[in-house]
Amino acid sequence: MKYMNKSIEELHEMLIKGEVTSDELVRESLELSHEVQKKCNAFVTILDDAKGCEVTDNLLSGIPYGVKDNYSTKDILSTGSSNTLKDYVPFFNATAVEHLNTAGAIKVNKTAMDEFGMGGTGTTGHTGIQKNPWDTTRLCAGSSSGSAAAVASGVYPYALGSDTGDSIRKPAAYCGIVGYKPTYGMISRYGLFAFASSLDHCGVLARSVRDAAIVVDTMKGLDINDMTSWDSSNVHLRSACTGEVKGKKLCYIKEIVDKERYKNASQELLDHLDNFYKTVENARELGMTVDEVSVDEAILKAQPSVYVVISCAEATSNMSNLTGISFGPRGEGDNYIDMMKDHRTKGFSPLIKRRFVIGSYVLQKENQERYFKNAQRVRRLLVDRWKEMFKDYDAIILPVGSGPAKHIDGSKDILDENTAALEEHLQVGNFGGFPSITIPNGFVSGLPVGVNITGNCYDDENVLNIAYALESTMEYKGQIAKEVK
Amino acid sequence: MSKFTKEMVDDYADKLLIGLTDEENKMVLDEFDIIDKNLDLVTQIPNISEVEPMTHCLDDFEYELRDDVVVESVPISDLLRNSDETDGDEVQVPKVVG
Amino acid sequence: MTKYLAKIGLEMHCEMSETNTKVFSAARNEYSESPNTNVRPLDMGFPGTLPVVNKEAVRLALMASMILNCSQPEYMYFERKNYYYPDMPKNFQITQETKPIPVGIYGKVEFECGDEIKTVRVNNIHLEEDAASLDHFFSTSNIDYNRAGVPLLELVTEPDIHSAKEAVAFLEHMRSVYQYAGISEADSKKGQIRCDVNISLMDAEKDESNPENWGTRTEIKNVNSFGGVRDAINYEIERQTEVLESGGEVEQETRRWDEESGTTKRMRSKADAIDYKYFVEPNIPKFKISKEWLEEIRKSIPELAMDRKNKYINEYGLSSYDAGVLVKEKAISDYYEECVKTGIDAKMAANWVSVNIIGELNKENISIDEFYITPVMLKQIIDGINGGLLSSKQAKEVFFKAIEEEKEPKNFISKDNAQISDKDELTRIISEILNNNPTQIEQYKGGRDNLFDYFVGQVMKNTRGKANPVITKEILHEELDKR
Repeated sequence: MKYMNKSIEELHEMLIKGEVTSDELVRESLELSHEVQKKCNAFVTILDDAKGCEVTDNLLSGIPYGVKDNYSTKDILSTGSSNTLKDYVPFFNATAVEHLNTAGAIKVNKTAMDEFGMGGTGTTGHTGIQKNPWDTTRLCAGSSSGSAAAVASGVYPYALGSDTGDSIRKPAAYCGIVGYKPTYGMISRYGLFAFASSLDHCGVLARSVRDAAIVVDTMKGLDINDMTSWDSSNVHLRSACTGEVKGKKLCYIKEIVDKERYKNASQELLDHLDNFYKTVENARELGMTVDEVSVDEAILKAQPSVYVVISCAEATSNMSNLTGISFGPRGEGDNYIDMMKDHRTKGFSPLIKRRFVIGSYVLQKENQERYFKNAQRVRRLLVDRWKEMFKDYDAIILPVGSGPAKHIDGSKDILDENTAALEEHLQVGNFGGFPSITIPNGFVSGLPVGVNITGNCYDDENVLNIAYALESTMEYKGQIAKEVK
Repeated sequence: MSKFTKEMVDDYADKLLIGLTDEENKMVLDEFDIIDKNLDLVTQIPNISEVEPMTHCLDDFEYELRDDVVVESVPISDLLRNSDETDGDEVQVPKVVG
Repeated sequence: MTKYLAKIGLEMHCEMSETNTKVFSAARNEYSESPNTNVRPLDMGFPGTLPVVNKEAVRLALMASMILNCSQPEYMYFERKNYYYPDMPKNFQITQETKPIPVGIYGKVEFECGDEIKTVRVNNIHLEEDAASLDHFFSTSNIDYNRAGVPLLELVTEPDIHSAKEAVAFLEHMRSVYQYAGISEADSKKGQIRCDVNISLMDAEKDESNPENWGTRTEIKNVNSFGGVRDAINYEIERQTEVLESGGEVEQETRRWDEESGTTKRMRSKADAIDYKYFVEPNIPKFKISKEWLEEIRKSIPELAMDRKNKYINEYGLSSYDAGVLVKEKAISDYYEECVKTGIDAKMAANWVSVNIIGELNKENISIDEFYITPVMLKQIIDGINGGLLSSKQAKEVFFKAIEEEKEPKNFISKDNAQISDKDELTRIISEILNNNPTQIEQYKGGRDNLFDYFVGQVMKNTRGKANPVITKEILHEELDKR
């Protein structure tokens, strides 16, 4: 690897100075794509005929990147890692991709994922499991599993992800990189295959906070094709990364990170929490205050189910357009109902089918009040409580997950009652549309772990700057996965 | 005793036009029990029914509606290129009755 | 038969044809013979597409809500109605249910039915999207997505209608409202109006205001013409009456109107009712409808049929009947008003439009837009009459000749066929005729009054019909008196 381990700004400078050409970067990135495909199964499509382009003042021009396969890419296979779209070639670009095209960024592959983003393991996509580049017997987590594996492996400086529960921020942690989802609506969702519309966010996986800021500065913007997008022309993420954080106030939630609460904790979990508190100390050394706050346990306990209920309900409706009639492979059958049923039964993975049934159940007229509406009510209570914290604090700092990446053979993706809050708290970032970023903060059992900073809506600059400052206190910025086994 | 049955699950799946294996059906049932238990906790939250359900991510959102200006139609060749069965300029399906 | 009172509620779907674009996509909202020529990615439900609400569609829907005396919401939401059907590419329809509040709830409409004024309460009116259309062949169906996403207004009434006649009068009234307000052509021939009808029968002697006295209702789906609504209601009243007469019970069910056989047929019972799993559309944030905007919309409501009718009666002095004929269709009323604007006398214009022009439209089965004679051309004929160039008989001849040859009426009006109104000339002609008919003068003087008409006839013969009849009669009297 000669170039692809570098940051966006480093690459840009080399390109401008003529030390390397865009074509050379693309060639290296494609070669690395094939290597990482063999090792991690990270891609649905590798765009072997990708070419370099003219380098402009734009920092992203001429530099390769990857696109999660649930982004619509014009004339390029876009499957969402599902058999229902295994041959789907869109005729239009997602808005975020269009913005990157305009900037001169070069797509070199489409990354594999959990089918339509519905999963947190990277095991449910139609092309198989994505393996963690640090240890190929382990998972990347999901759903942006391919993007995380590729960026961590140094295929390119960044790849696009999407985040409905924690689908950018968790795989980023497990692969030792940065994962950022901005405030809801800052990046248009037009062209992103819908999973749960009120929770879906576009975002990026990168190896430094600054790179993530540069990419989102380009992806964002008001879009006439997405009514939930907003004008962020006065938000400048890269220039917000100053490292000036003295006097900033952070907090963490006692009910999630108090070691006393995990009586039968594994050593990995304890190490993970210790590591978290070390990062908290780093924050204090930067001149920030970090307080412990308490959140009502009843709503915390309900939180993972709230996510399941809302996301499954919206998903079952969003994905009812997948019938194989006007796109996707035709099912077999004598009438349209049998045809659609055959397409859906064969096309969806078991996990998705289960979630559809749950989603449909909670939306039934007689069940809506108890399940769906109550879930939406608790969503509000959680968001209100988080917003209350944001009145006193710039951001919430919490560990990501309950340790390092899980083993492939032990993977389960159904609700687990233990350590649920620790595993699932990032979902509140989706409930409220909060800007939320994960950065690597060390190693547990030789594998990377991450810490998350989440702030109030529209306060992305502040959140990124805090993460940027914290990143500078540690030595994991820009790290490339080294196989530990 | 779970209040969910295999038959219920199959019926819901059928209405979504998907078929489930017995194993998948069983997993749905297990998951239902967990969700149901968790939502029992929710119903115990005081005055929960008075909370307004949160239907959108950003609740305080202000925006403009779209101006009534035509954007040209997508070429038919693009519209139809992903359909496995077409007839002339249209998508074709087995005859729809009723 | 008289012991039952029918309670009828209507769900009237009307495509809004007067917006440029569809309700959630920027595709052209226009009927097209060529399939799939007005399609944006959302209209086929392609992955990643999102609805974007058309401001004009919302404006017109709110206007309809105001005209129906409904209340408008502070915030507007949309909801998804989920069901699988090949004409619904997303397999859900974006619509509005009654919770949260749609563009209008709880209004009332007054309409004329024969000589009576009736009132129907409106439960709600909401804005939604139309489905694609299917063309059926021997063993296949083709999907045309042009119609997918066309804005649709659904009006739901309370069961305040009691007969087929009332139902049709209500629908005609609503069609007129939509036309006059510039919301829709509301042309059922173009499939723009579709109705669902619900009907129950109750004991006519019981108190109608107490819902407990109402009978079990059936719903009849997809009735696509006013005639169909009339026939379906009459059929269903008869069917339910027979059921009740024979001691049976009406089942709560959904039925289908079968135009060919003129009967309703069972589709599904209440137990099989579809659960549409409504929930709020997350891609359309709740929209604050400002008081200022509502006020602006209220001020922009155009003159409706009733307003125009009153104007015609009170300002133009027309009879209620004539005014009613003129306002029945907006296009004709517009034509009439244009005639008045060009300076044609209001009563004279009313007469020409309601008799000659409507008669011609009906005979040729064409609309006023397709009619050759414009108000300006009609004025040429009227000026001809007023200027004494045309008799009323000649005026009609010119009218038909202009239509037949598609040439402006002025081409057929000239001084040559002008009436002779010159008194000196007429006196000269009349004197000559009298001089040649001394016998008849004598008989006339002797009491044969009807000979007066003989003299008039002679004048007409002599002038080849061009003598002004009024002046001719005047001079004849004078000249005969002299002799």
